[in-house]
Amino acid sequence: MPLLIWQVLFFVVPLGFMFVMSFWLVKDYRMTPAFALDNWLKILTWGIFWRAYGYTLALATAAMALASLFAFPASYTLAFKASDAARRWALFFLIIPFFTSYLVRVYAWQVVLAGNGIISAILGFVGLGPLSLLNTPIGTLVGYLTLTFPLVLILQTISLSSIDKNLIEAAHNLGCGPLRTIFAVIIPAAKVGLIVAALFCFILSFGDFVSPYYLGGSKPPTLSIMIIDSTKSGQQWPRAAVIAVMMIISLLTVAFASVTAAYRRRG
Amino acid sequence: MTTPLVVFDRVEKRFENFVAVKPTSFEIAAGEFLAIMGPSGCGKTTTLRMLAGLEAPTAGEIRFEGRVMNNVKPHERDMPLVWQSLALFPFLNARENVEFGLKMRGVDSATRKKKALEWLDRLGIGQFAERNVAKLSGGQRQRVALARSLVTEPKILLLDEPLSALDAHLVIRMQSVLTKLQKELGITFVYVTHSQSEAFAMADRVVIMSHGEIAQIGKAKDIYRAPSDKFVAEFVGRNNIFEGKVLKSTPANTVVATPLGAFSVPTGTKGTFKADDPLSFVVAADLVQISAQRPSEDNIVECQVISEQFMGTTVTLFLEAKDGSELKVQVGQRELEGIDFKGSKKLFASWPVSRAHVLARQ
Amino acid sequence: MNAEKALKWALFAYVALAFAFIFTPVIWSFIFSFNSDRFPSLPLGSFSLKWYETVLSRPEILQAAVTSLTVAICTSLLATFIGFCTAYTDFRYHFMFKQAYLALAMLPPTIPLIIMALAMLSWLAQIGLSGQVISIIISHTVLAAPFAMAVIRLRLNDMDPNLEAASWNLGASEWRAMREVVIPFAMPSIIAALCLTAAVSFDEFAVAWFVSGLNKTIPVVILEILQGNVDPQINAIGTFVFIISIALIVTAQMLMLSKGGKKEATQ
Repeated sequence: MPLLIWQVLFFVVPLGFMFVMSFWLVKDYRMTPAFALDNWLKILTWGIFWRAYGYTLALATAAMALASLFAFPASYTLAFKASDAARRWALFFLIIPFFTSYLVRVYAWQVVLAGNGIISAILGFVGLGPLSLLNTPIGTLVGYLTLTFPLVLILQTISLSSIDKNLIEAAHNLGCGPLRTIFAVIIPAAKVGLIVAALFCFILSFGDFVSPYYLGGSKPPTLSIMIIDSTKSGQQWPRAAVIAVMMIISLLTVAFASVTAAYRRRG
Repeated sequence: MTTPLVVFDRVEKRFENFVAVKPTSFEIAAGEFLAIMGPSGCGKTTTLRMLAGLEAPTAGEIRFEGRVMNNVKPHERDMPLVWQSLALFPFLNARENVEFGLKMRGVDSATRKKKALEWLDRLGIGQFAERNVAKLSGGQRQRVALARSLVTEPKILLLDEPLSALDAHLVIRMQSVLTKLQKELGITFVYVTHSQSEAFAMADRVVIMSHGEIAQIGKAKDIYRAPSDKFVAEFVGRNNIFEGKVLKSTPANTVVATPLGAFSVPTGTKGTFKADDPLSFVVAADLVQISAQRPSEDNIVECQVISEQFMGTTVTLFLEAKDGSELKVQVGQRELEGIDFKGSKKLFASWPVSRAHVLARQ
Repeated sequence: MNAEKALKWALFAYVALAFAFIFTPVIWSFIFSFNSDRFPSLPLGSFSLKWYETVLSRPEILQAAVTSLTVAICTSLLATFIGFCTAYTDFRYHFMFKQAYLALAMLPPTIPLIIMALAMLSWLAQIGLSGQVISIIISHTVLAAPFAMAVIRLRLNDMDPNLEAASWNLGASEWRAMREVVIPFAMPSIIAALCLTAAVSFDEFAVAWFVSGLNKTIPVVILEILQGNVDPQINAIGTFVFIISIALIVTAQMLMLSKGGKKEATQ
């Protein structure tokens, strides 16, 4: 049971403490324990916070939708069209990105997306540019996808390939066309896995600060950037804590909703 | 009989709300081959695990050579168990698996190796000593498990359905290996199984368990010929069970009224039965005769064949009596010659009075 | 038949495209770590090792590398120990609130890093443990232990639950059984967990950035370079990080695969 103590001491207590801290006051750049709603009132009535909240939510939702949609044809191919060996290799390669520094990959995109980078050159070639995607929401989304796309692809592939192949053959046998099989059989059968993949994508995007900062130009800031700004420069830890608690509440809501959706009608 | 090796004294095992073994008492003699048999969930494995110390009895005492074992840790007993799953250590080779028990007892590595190899040789798998256990066949793995349990020269060996994973032909071979080993070593074997053929083929005595209690305990032949109740009669199989009421009872014979008619059965040594009391009796399938003409026996059932099952030199006929109840008759192929049992021909099943056995518990 | 073939090719082409998206930044940064230009763009400049020389000549980066390695090693040992104990507890025992206990053990990776960072920073500051190497180790252990737990738990799943009882039956005490049976059985996964947790720690930047103070790790240095004067030495550092991480992962993967091979042989 010493592990329990460890987990409590360095996981539960910090989160709990953060919650408590959101009620503290900052005087002369020092935190003083208190029970005041000042920070909460300040944040919750602050227009910039709500704009950032909406922006973050929108971006994370977009990333979730895009990653799920883009990944599905690929994971479908890997799960049903590729050989077992090919699928194993693909999964192995998909793990690699997790262990290359995310920061370095974001930096690489910075160069690719910049006004003098490749994408701009290509767009220019087809008559749309030069155009810098850097410091735009698209830049942020590219960064989010860099972080989440491999994970979504892995989770989708695993959940699709664990579908009983007889189920699909049975559908064909009963006169269900290939495309209809996807919607009528495959997606419902893999529902839990697909939703979990999307949920992870959402959580990661919602909390990431690197992409919106370095690819999105932090204008407008996302919630995670606001946390950093209030912590690193403003010494406003309690306010950062309020934002963090708001984020956790949002994430729990989304997670709870998706898990409920995933297991609905499953007794 | 000398002092028993193992005594179960009103041993009971409960898991929360579930009684796995009701208070149970029996003894195991030194050097005997005892089989504990029953359907799954009857408490036989729990009984064995209590003996090995892997489960603690909720009440009662287990004594080994007179010593109360209830609080002795499993590793302090020398009662090796051959597991249903074999539980061979996959990261050790065959020889290292066999050495394990000796290593735990602090035997030096040279002696360990020598003894392990001796045992592997004895069981005929010496050439596989250095092989990964995953690469051995089912029968070979079985022998490694046996060697691993016997290498410490225990006084008692526990076996938990060890042959259930083997192919049918290997089961027969391992049965003879086991009985031979047991005779040579002269140690006690306690063998848990759900297969009556395994139990009856090997054991000196058989314990039949049902719903956490002992239904019958005795020599294989006695259990087969004289089951104590309906459960045992059905479990042993190949029995025809008749249920009815006593019509009249004399010290020699008792007449029982059943839906199929009246039958005479031996009254037995416990005195006559009261009229109108319920009474059940069994007749083993191989004690029933079959004939085309009405025989002169007392107990006759008119019936016709519904199906037959050939098993080597014997045939089991499934017969239907006129009230729809079913009878089983096991006869040799030759006895059937000259009897036309095909079609819906009427046949007569009959047995002498002495062949019927009255169940002790109704 | 031809349409089906064309569709199959289209799907595989799509998979290739997806992989291209994932690996573009990885390969890009690798290539540009050998490119002489200060501001990387196409066409490539000449081949050069100057960014590697720059990196190796900066003492603070070497210092960060030492910190990173120290943290990674300590974290992997601690997290694997905790992960093993948790996995074994889950495997062996049934108790009340076990679900809650497991949820607690598996939860940390689902909390956004930036929130963990804030929570750890405020709590560790409160108990006087912030800004030290040990603060990074503690935080990383919390983050990495669930991965170790998952890897080891998967391995224990394959263990015949009678194996341990069999060793007691053959005269091994509980501790002896742990040493002679459980640990040898779990060994491949223990080593895999060591590698995996080391890699997780070696890559993590958000929490490390918040709690590290002056003891920067390599990813924190990258982050700070990104904030200031960006130049391709990031690519050079990234390549180093990549090589170390990949070495750890390949080791882990090979151990898991060899375990898989053994399992197949048993069946």
